[in-house]
Amino acid sequence: MKLAYYPGCVSLSTGKEMDVSTRAVCAALGIELEELSDWNCCGATHVSNELVATGLSARNMAQTELPIMTPCSICYSNLRSAVRRLEDGEVRERVNAVLEKKYSGAAIRHALDVILESLEKKDERIVLPLKEMKVAAYYGCLLTRPVGQYSPQFPTILEELIKRLEAEPVELRHKTSCCGGPIFMPREDAADDIAFAILAEAKEAGAEVIVTVCPLCHLMLDAKQKALEDKKGQKIGIPVLYVTQLVGIALGLSPEELGLEMNSVSPMAMVERAYERMAARS
Amino acid sequence: MSTATAAKDVEFKQEVLRLAGPEMLTCIQCGTCSASCPTAHLMNPSIRKLVKLCLEGRKEEALHNETLWLCTSCLLCTVRCPRGIRPKAVVSALKDIAERESVRGRDASYEEFFLKQIKNYGRIAELPLTAEFLLVYPQAAVQSMQMGLELISKGKIGARVDRIEGRDEVKRIVEKLRE
Repeated sequence: MKLAYYPGCVSLSTGKEMDVSTRAVCAALGIELEELSDWNCCGATHVSNELVATGLSARNMAQTELPIMTPCSICYSNLRSAVRRLEDGEVRERVNAVLEKKYSGAAIRHALDVILESLEKKDERIVLPLKEMKVAAYYGCLLTRPVGQYSPQFPTILEELIKRLEAEPVELRHKTSCCGGPIFMPREDAADDIAFAILAEAKEAGAEVIVTVCPLCHLMLDAKQKALEDKKGQKIGIPVLYVTQLVGIALGLSPEELGLEMNSVSPMAMVERAYERMAARS
Repeated sequence: MSTATAAKDVEFKQEVLRLAGPEMLTCIQCGTCSASCPTAHLMNPSIRKLVKLCLEGRKEEALHNETLWLCTSCLLCTVRCPRGIRPKAVVSALKDIAERESVRGRDASYEEFFLKQIKNYGRIAELPLTAEFLLVYPQAAVQSMQMGLELISKGKIGARVDRIEGRDEVKRIVEKLRE
């Protein structure tokens, strides 16, 4: 399978491990990725004018004929929203008037869905089944909203993938709640309260790891975890992995290939536990 | 209210409807949007009331409030609204109008710098964006410092700004499509 790959701006900075692990897992699963040429920012959640946001996504989508895959839920949500708006002939005409390559339709996929589709049940490439591992599935907002492939409030695809890796999904009441990320710069206190509620719930539910599909969720729950612990006076200490990192661990890829050293809360103890549990079973 | 003000307010209402969609007119003020909002407890007016202010053409109150900047764009209001209204699009419309009319404040500045970076470079580089914001609002630095240092220690944020080839095209998208 060959797909166009849209890494998104975060892949070059705070989400490097998302990009690294996406490329590594796709390579291991035989999914060929061709990076979109000269891609631009999708506007994230900060471009208020919808036509401008649509134009930014349309320019990206016009670069390829292949289906486009992104590992970032924000990019994914923006691309899918743009596809829907561009179904309107008037919008398409206005947007195409300013584009060099014209938009003529696109198929948008999230890495999560591509990877799940590529993994068979009991897939022999899963060399480290994550049995007994309690994994909290945290979707955040934009994988499923406004027009994802999944239920906007009660999705299950992440749990399906967790089970395919033979791990145990931990259900969070907050699983599709917002992480607060989009307002964390100008409104830090409000964002902190929201993010901490998710971490505290995962802790109480006994999660050994939280899995995310969005670099902003990851930033709030991982890079900010220590600051949140200090601020709230409660230890959390739960590693937060991109879904591609979790899959990569189960596929037996190395920590370097998955960028695990770039995670703020180290997942190494959790990885070792997975190997110990496998050794104990055999 | 003078006739001139009233006329302008009608214009404002029409502009919000144009940007956020005419389905706003069908709002029944049920409050599902407010009940779904992760920052509702901090908002005044609530998101429900914000929609009402727009429909009543109360421009000043609709544009000058904290509510717009507390929206996290999570879209839960939008998927839950029983009338198919998109309350987050109402917020976006108001932000767009506020930005065009040069309403100032820390949040408006952040959005402005973000769009400026897209327009100039085609992509976002977090460090220069953050630096520009902190120059205007240095008080935010104290809060952000711990995470910033953490990210720098992991080699995840650098000063490098990626410039794409199609910068002129992106600039055209930002300028022409906003008209």
